[in-house]
Amino acid sequence: MNGLVVRGKTARTVLWVLLAVVTVLYGFPFVYLLLTSFKTPLETIAVPATVFGSEFTLENYATALGREGVIASFINSTVTAVLSTAISLVLAVPAAYAITRYRTPSGQVFILVALVCRMVPAIVVGVPLVSLFRDLGIADTSLALAIAHATLSLPLSIWLMTSFFDAVPDELDEAAKIDGCSRLGALRRVVLPVVSGGVAVTAIFAFLASWNEFLFSLLLTSVRAQTTPIVIANFQTQFGLDWGSMTALAAVYSIPVVLLTLVLQRHIVAGLTLGAVKG
Amino acid sequence: MQHLASRRPSGAAARSTTKTFLSAAAVLSALTLAGCGAGGGGTASADDAESLTVLVEAGGKAELTGVAEKFTEETGTDVTFVELPYEGLYNRLNTEFSSGSTSFDVAALDAIWLSTFADAVTPLNDMFTDEVTSDLFPALVEEAQVGEDFVGMPVWTNSEILFYRTDLFEDPAEKAAFKDEYGYDLDPPTTWEQYQDVAQFFTRDTDGDGQTDLYGTDVKGAVETEWLATVSQSGAENMVLSPEGDVTVNDADHLAALDFYVGLNNDLKVSPPGAAQIDWAGAQNLFYQGETAMMRFWAHAYPQTPEDSPVAGKIGAAPMIGGPGGVAGVPGPWYLSIPKTTEKQETANEFLQFAYDNNAMGIDSSLGLAARVSAFEEYEGKPGYEHFDALVETLSAEGTKPRPATENWQEIVDSALIPMLQKALEPGADNQQLLDDAKEQIEAIVQ
Repeated sequence: MNGLVVRGKTARTVLWVLLAVVTVLYGFPFVYLLLTSFKTPLETIAVPATVFGSEFTLENYATALGREGVIASFINSTVTAVLSTAISLVLAVPAAYAITRYRTPSGQVFILVALVCRMVPAIVVGVPLVSLFRDLGIADTSLALAIAHATLSLPLSIWLMTSFFDAVPDELDEAAKIDGCSRLGALRRVVLPVVSGGVAVTAIFAFLASWNEFLFSLLLTSVRAQTTPIVIANFQTQFGLDWGSMTALAAVYSIPVVLLTLVLQRHIVAGLTLGAVKG
Repeated sequence: MQHLASRRPSGAAARSTTKTFLSAAAVLSALTLAGCGAGGGGTASADDAESLTVLVEAGGKAELTGVAEKFTEETGTDVTFVELPYEGLYNRLNTEFSSGSTSFDVAALDAIWLSTFADAVTPLNDMFTDEVTSDLFPALVEEAQVGEDFVGMPVWTNSEILFYRTDLFEDPAEKAAFKDEYGYDLDPPTTWEQYQDVAQFFTRDTDGDGQTDLYGTDVKGAVETEWLATVSQSGAENMVLSPEGDVTVNDADHLAALDFYVGLNNDLKVSPPGAAQIDWAGAQNLFYQGETAMMRFWAHAYPQTPEDSPVAGKIGAAPMIGGPGGVAGVPGPWYLSIPKTTEKQETANEFLQFAYDNNAMGIDSSLGLAARVSAFEEYEGKPGYEHFDALVETLSAEGTKPRPATENWQEIVDSALIPMLQKALEPGADNQQLLDDAKEQIEAIVQ
């Protein structure tokens, strides 16, 4: 018995150590970014680099946030990410539901094609999208960029939602239909509430994909719809790299997604484990 | 009753209506915002003749802002800048030129992109009069011409010059010690041999802990331009490629340049460790930390030393050093070009001419650069512009040559030149063999 207790304690200690290592590995870059954003300009470029600065300054934040176009770029990033997430969910939820409930061969082909689309490099569709959006008269708008971002997140959204719907037994739909629901009614009133955690996870992935996306933002926006990742990258110029301002703006830009993740944490965990016990 | 019920919704129904209304309002707001974007202004459209959109690298916007404001004042034409990061700008230009339509009316192009985009931009031959060409550095005029046409108007140029620490070079004790050891005065070096001597002299352990903490210079292995300047200093007639397309990278001059360049690190050991990974930012950091006594670097950095740097106020500037072929640098100009696809050819042309006429305004910007010789000369000798003498002398030197005009240049740099330099910085490297290998790679790229 004592042996079992000792072994249990050892295993728990090893687990905690592993968790601590993983947390440090994931967390250190972000912590380093935060610490750098409070360093003086000279300390940000020190060789060898130091983790902690000898002085605390908000100068980098003042420079970064005072730069022309930063506030507008935040609004653009938010609008684009929200819109892109909405487009992804509106298309992915019914698509995934149909695939899991009707189980037709074409549905299986469709989901495979979605996966293949996910593998296509973004730059390949970049050039056609530039021409297409210009012809449609929506070049340099958040709407165009959101549509482009949705092309990136949609395949993953469909796959995620498919796995979440798969975990919900068909009997639930049948019961809803017996109670008078149509197929869509069963989806809206019964199945969707059950997979709300999965929807939250999918929404977060879609939101993050758009929030952090760089290439399409670079190719498809100019003045009106430019997003923050481009503004952050603009701190690196041919004439030098303004590490302090770059890290300050990156830190500010991280706040919404960190908050979003904290707020939706419960749903995310629930969503990630939703399909885990499927028999 | 039924009628009344339908007109006065129950609590749940009212909540539902409110929810629907709010959702619709939210979607409409989002779509409205999405349709516009928050950046305001908007890109120029073909029918909006009173505006120009200028695509520019983020670091270069400051150079053009003053000119653009004056242009708007005098002509009433609004100028909107689209700022992009360096790598992103190239991708954007490539994408838009490939798509056959462009969202900008003027673009600022790095010199090394002119050959790549020459077919997509309007020739500016009428603008390059004798008067204009005589007021531009010869290398800039040469670079602006691709085939028969001038495809860009230089707007500012840079070049590497020599930065040195005046607190060391002007210290009487250091001067005396140097003269004792080398037999001539300690001054900013002008030749390869002097550079080696001074670099060796300053490489030392200053705090007596047994570790070298001051180096004579840096050696940059992660960028190629400084080695290319050394190639020109060696007297090489052609840098990497001849105008006919023959690869000359493994000739005797290139070898001499490589031997000198990496020898500072490999043989003399006068540069900090990790040379293969040192790029512009890394070299600048070392110098600003006071870890190197000299630095070959782009002239724009002269007024930008951080105030809290231990070497702030103690930096001098001299022309780039010379080898057997004399003093030479590699010019780093940017050009304004007009895409063939813009409908605002006339206004764009007017803007380019205006930018040339008011070129000196760029010197008042944070970068402090111009392209016209007369613009630099106007500021020579003024406080804060002590580096202009060195810059003008380097850019005017006979050996200063532009990089080869080939659309494959970026690929040559990334695939052949930088890897070759990094391998050459490894102990025991066979420089001739590395250059021979580079030649093969470059031939495969250009053929």
